[in-house]
Amino acid sequence: MHIPDGFLDLRTAATAAALAATGVAVALRELRRHLPPRRVPLVGLSAAFIFAAQMLNFPVAAGTSGHLVGGVLVAALLGPAAAVVVMTAVLVLQCLMFADGGVTALGANILNMGIVAPAAGYAIFAATRRLGGGSLRATLLATGFAAWCSIVIAALACAAELAASGTVAWSQALPAMCGVHMLIGFGEAVISMLIIAVVARARPELLTAGAAPHIAQRATLAYGLLATLGLVAFLAPVASSMPDGLERVAERLGFAGRAVADRAAPFQDYSVGVWPADSAMLSLVVAGCIGALAAFAAAWSLARMLAPAAARPARR
Amino acid sequence: MQRGLLSPYRHATSVVHALPAGAKLGVALACILLLVMLPRTAWLAYLGVALGLLAVAIASRVPLRQLLLRLALMEPFVLGVALLALLGPDGTRVFAGMLVKSTLCLGVMVLLTATTRFSDLLAVLWRLRVPALLVTTLALMHRYVFVLLEEMERMRRARRSRTFRADRVAAWRGSAQVAGQLFIRTSERAERVYLAMCARGWKHG
Amino acid sequence: MTLEVAGLVYRYPDGHEALRGLSFAIADGERVALIGPNGAGKSTLLLHLNGLLPDAPPSQPAVRVGGLPVTAANLAEVRRRVGLLFQDPDDQLFCASVWEDVAFGPQQLGVAEPELSARVAAVLRQVGLPGFEERLPHHLSRGEKRRVCLAGLLACDARILVLDEPTSDLDPRGRRELMALLKTLPVTQLIATHDLEFVVEMCPRAIVLDGGVLVADGPTRQLLNDEALMLAHGLERPHILRHSHPH
Repeated sequence: MHIPDGFLDLRTAATAAALAATGVAVALRELRRHLPPRRVPLVGLSAAFIFAAQMLNFPVAAGTSGHLVGGVLVAALLGPAAAVVVMTAVLVLQCLMFADGGVTALGANILNMGIVAPAAGYAIFAATRRLGGGSLRATLLATGFAAWCSIVIAALACAAELAASGTVAWSQALPAMCGVHMLIGFGEAVISMLIIAVVARARPELLTAGAAPHIAQRATLAYGLLATLGLVAFLAPVASSMPDGLERVAERLGFAGRAVADRAAPFQDYSVGVWPADSAMLSLVVAGCIGALAAFAAAWSLARMLAPAAARPARR
Repeated sequence: MQRGLLSPYRHATSVVHALPAGAKLGVALACILLLVMLPRTAWLAYLGVALGLLAVAIASRVPLRQLLLRLALMEPFVLGVALLALLGPDGTRVFAGMLVKSTLCLGVMVLLTATTRFSDLLAVLWRLRVPALLVTTLALMHRYVFVLLEEMERMRRARRSRTFRADRVAAWRGSAQVAGQLFIRTSERAERVYLAMCARGWKHG
Repeated sequence: MTLEVAGLVYRYPDGHEALRGLSFAIADGERVALIGPNGAGKSTLLLHLNGLLPDAPPSQPAVRVGGLPVTAANLAEVRRRVGLLFQDPDDQLFCASVWEDVAFGPQQLGVAEPELSARVAAVLRQVGLPGFEERLPHHLSRGEKRRVCLAGLLACDARILVLDEPTSDLDPRGRRELMALLKTLPVTQLIATHDLEFVVEMCPRAIVLDGGVLVADGPTRQLLNDEALMLAHGLERPHILRHSHPH
């Protein structure tokens, strides 16, 4: 999901960079306050870990493989603030050493994969885990579901940035990006869950995210809020320009006159025919909800498999 | 060896390599900003930039083949996003313009990363007052990436020698095991690095 | 510089007793080997010698470095005096380049240019790696990494060198080079190792540790020739002593 240079206009790139800088600054401040010195090297080495883990192959079909992104994985292991710093570091390395992701787009990439994904993901992780009772099974379920959500939310942000730059129409970017990433999200969910299961079995004390509740509470709220604000900041102008984008498409396809006429009437029903793309948007929302439910169900079944309820003596 | 392929930096004695990292980063950024600001179909300007890049590439004494290989490696990501543009109005021209623009930007970055060490760029970030915690994280990450990759490769090899099933489930389980173990070892190593830093008088904060 | 340990006790957080009342003293310039089976507590002991353990240094510490007690107030000076060489050089070589890593210690001590670069160059020459300043750690061999780590300790003017298994993963050449280097360093040395041939050749005195207890402390040849003692503590009589004739 790394956006290369040349696809974001300067206004969007600058806005994203400003939001990203703020998010990273907040995370750094949080870490400076709460991270014991003993764990400072762990942040840097975890960044190296995520970079390495992203190279692992998870074969899908006929030569293609899936790969881990890792935002929720590292948030579950180190907490949201550290996760933001870790993912940001990885993205900076990828950009400045491997030319993976544009340098003008670095702000946007950090915002999507380094802030929104781990932060929103962590909020969902913490909430799901608490609702599930905090057991290993609940932790695994939370990891999987949050991982799926983080991928979809990051894709949403990415689509919004591309649309705001006028690169792609919102009505095309959104379904394309989110649709594909709803599938990719399943891979991320499964991989994250499997890895957490390995760590939980061998070294349960390393799953520290739940160990500092006061941090979790405040940070969760702060990051959840930041992530939401960031998204809203993007979606609002895009949504308001949505009619323009759609009108352009509508003009081309010959629906323009009809759309103008119908706009005068208030929204009475959502049936097909008012705006051609409106039903597409609705079906996308429906698809999203179905996807989320499917992801939750999948995570739940895998969690059951990985952490059976019956108490088993720990295998050595 | 894999490591050589992994790091795009190619050492050579050239004018370009000798330039300070900050200057190179600044010029690269300016170049990309210029490209971004150009209208989508400014073909002549694109040609000019392309020639300029070629000149710098030659001056850098990095084998052109390696630069082009790197460019080709990253190009699919450019293509992927550009393809989305085909869906919109005026598709083909927009697509072509986007493709050329983005590829040129990519070329700038490929040149920069081939002639500039990451640790030098980190020093630039340090001078630009990027917070210490972030710079330390970047530095430690950069230092240990190759160490961890080697460790990971050893674990993968060990796992492969004990895997007799070729199916996907085994592959996923195996990779997850490797990742999990790698994290555990990384945590332990981080603890030792902390001790090593303290042993040499590190004052955190 | 002298090193004194008196009644050192250490218990892990989970309650396991790692060190049970160790006492010994090392004179200035001595080279002493610390041997024992795995799990004896060697590495734990070494971490006490520069104050990395315990987490909260006691007001009446069991360890004194050149007469200076290892208390919280003295930690900085203790760590300057005692150079600890870790078992895995990758853990210790955490900077981006050789120059940066060797300069790390002196920088923390407040040494500035131009003395800093001069010192780095001098210690690199001393360990046999002249001109290595710009080299990157992951391009070095293990032996070279070890020597860079040593250089980093010498750059802080360490008076006592504590080494944790320095020859464990070196090839024969690396091992010979390290041994030759250690012989040229006049500072006090305590070397934890499994390499019994190394012990015979390098260290006139040996301390045997087993189960957190100091079971023997004396001249190397006498201890290592004592087959019963060696076997009782997970060691053995090294070949070099089996096949040499006393003269």
